[in-house]
Amino acid sequence: MTFKRLIILCALLLSAALAGCANVKPYERGHLAKPEMQFDADFSVTKLSQQMYAAKEASSGGYTTGGGGCGCN
Amino acid sequence: MKTLRGNRLTAAPLAAFVLALMTLFATSGAAALNLNAKAPDFETKQLTEPGGSFKLSRQLGKVVYVDFWASWCTPCRYSFPILDGLADKYGAQGFMVVGVNQDDSVKDREAFRQKVPVKFALLDDGDHDVAKAFDVKAMPCGYLIDRKGILRRIHLGFDASTPEKLEAEIQLLLKEVP
Repeated sequence: MTFKRLIILCALLLSAALAGCANVKPYERGHLAKPEMQFDADFSVTKLSQQMYAAKEASSGGYTTGGGGCGCN
Repeated sequence: MKTLRGNRLTAAPLAAFVLALMTLFATSGAAALNLNAKAPDFETKQLTEPGGSFKLSRQLGKVVYVDFWASWCTPCRYSFPILDGLADKYGAQGFMVVGVNQDDSVKDREAFRQKVPVKFALLDDGDHDVAKAFDVKAMPCGYLIDRKGILRRIHLGFDASTPEKLEAEIQLLLKEVP
């Protein structure tokens, strides 16, 4: 019984969370491309730290440093 | 998972969840665009010629490249001078480029125009109606339309290989008799 309730609760919560999602068309990404929409406060600092990380770890990549927000880089 | 089977109480929220997922991934219902079919006609305001309007169906007899651009689209900065060059080179033979803007901010749009000036016509699409009609899948996105108004080629994005391919296609389409 408890398991069933848990399933119901999870499904309801997930549905509620999904209702907050939206499909953004490629041509509507202007707002997402703004600097204040980035995860990092300072893009150049992130880039620098990533360069140091790459030098120390002898590996790079896996980060999104392209910018632009148009899904085309 | 015995509890899941045949239990309406559990099935209802699950169905709601699946429905929510389907809604999330559902397309907007815009008609898919087909190659070698008539390109959607549109009429919109010109940015380059205040007061003027542009209607695609009035351009029959010309090869038209409809380019969707925005100030926040990095490859657009690269593509603009190249498209301007192509419009210049093949303009006399009946080729034209129009740039349909997708910016929400007029300030950003005008700053981009100052930075990357072009001679081809730039069009307003404030409500994204033209982009919806063309079912734009990437930015930038270019649609090559032949002299009869038939959509012949779609370019998603713009990279180093695009100019060469595009020029060859323009040359081919210009040779076709309207």
